Amino acid sequence: MAQILVVDDSSTVRAEVGDFLKKNGLDVALAVDGRDGLSKLKGDPAIKLVVSDVNMPNMDGLTMAEKIRSELGNASVNIIMLTTENSPIMKERGKAAGIKGWIVKPFKGEAVLPTFKKLVGA
Amino acid sequence: MDARASQEHSTITSKMLVVDKDADCYDTIKSFCERHHLVGLKAHEEHIMAVLRSNVDLGGIMLSERLAGLGEGARGLARRIREVRPELPIFLRRRRESADQPLDARESELFSAVYRIEEIDALAPALTAAIFSQQYPNALVRGIAEISRMVLENQFPGMSVEIDQPYLVRDRIIFGEVFTLIPLESSWCRGYMMLQAEQKTLQALTADESDDFRDLNNALGELTNLIWGWFKNRFINQSQPIHQLSQVPIIINHQHRYISFGSDDAQLCFKYVLRRADGAPLVLLQRFIFNLSWSPEDFTENQTSVEELFESGELELF
Repeated sequence: MAQILVVDDSSTVRAEVGDFLKKNGLDVALAVDGRDGLSKLKGDPAIKLVVSDVNMPNMDGLTMAEKIRSELGNASVNIIMLTTENSPIMKERGKAAGIKGWIVKPFKGEAVLPTFKKLVGA
Repeated sequence: MDARASQEHSTITSKMLVVDKDADCYDTIKSFCERHHLVGLKAHEEHIMAVLRSNVDLGGIMLSERLAGLGEGARGLARRIREVRPELPIFLRRRRESADQPLDARESELFSAVYRIEEIDALAPALTAAIFSQQYPNALVRGIAEISRMVLENQFPGMSVEIDQPYLVRDRIIFGEVFTLIPLESSWCRGYMMLQAEQKTLQALTADESDDFRDLNNALGELTNLIWGWFKNRFINQSQPIHQLSQVPIIINHQHRYISFGSDDAQLCFKYVLRRADGAPLVLLQRFIFNLSWSPEDFTENQTSVEELFESGELELF
């Protein structure tokens, strides 16, 4: 049972973000791409927040966000993109999929930890 | 803008291997190199193959006709160089006494241009055609160095990052054992960014000095991803659609450590040297290959302050 699902194709980022969140008392699950993210989210109803990269193989993060809402019918999970992308067009697509926020990499954990905790109710 | 970054040069150079044993010509060749942004690397004819093996980022070679080493002279040497590095332009200095004797067609094919020391400046157009054929906006060159420095310093805190003057490379030899390629697509450029490193460098850069090569691959992959993302944020107007969809095969020959993008143009190269206070220098090479489309006249730079955004790490809530 995890509170936060971190989705990134880079093992470096998964380790960096996952370790930081665990050290700060949060339960974390990891997924390697959007397809894996969908599957992990489907199998763990405790997840309250998905932190996802955009550019990934097999399924990108924005498509995953759209499918979370449409295919899984999950309207309540919070989704935040963590990406190098800063394009307004992509952000608009994310907003349309109901994502909660956007972080441009690199990940600065201390800056976002209070919001993450708030979103998972910790 | 970072003070150090602002001091970094945007003048682009190229490395020229100079194989010429006539001491009387050194000063003239040296002066020519300086005037034309060439970094001259002197090499003895007997060592040239070893020098070529250890220098995989050259722009060209200047040979003297007076070379007689290994009993084959400059033409023989040029043939041997052509066999191993056909992409390197060779410029032949002819002797005064033989300048009126034209090279035969087979010999001419070996050289991009021939010159006499008295008329060395006549070499400039051939140099431009062979190496400096693409013009790079200063803002682009400076910006790439700034972005890359920002990413490297963030990823590897505690390490200093030195950036050599950017240079143009005709060589197609791969540096190190690991490299990444990522496409760059915009209305003014289409091509790739390539990041190259030796595996031991990546190992030294990873937090726990992992010896799992997949971890090292991933570390270079994430570095590439970060630089690519910031390149896009700064230089690519992502609201403009890209209509050109042409592609060419990228050919890699592992035996020769050779990679071809189909274009003969020189590639823009940056060399980053990372150092811990007590450690050996760690080298990363970054090349930009705009092989599919290059229109510097349409170059644009976005107004967003990438430095501020990069440093904030803030969450933009919708």
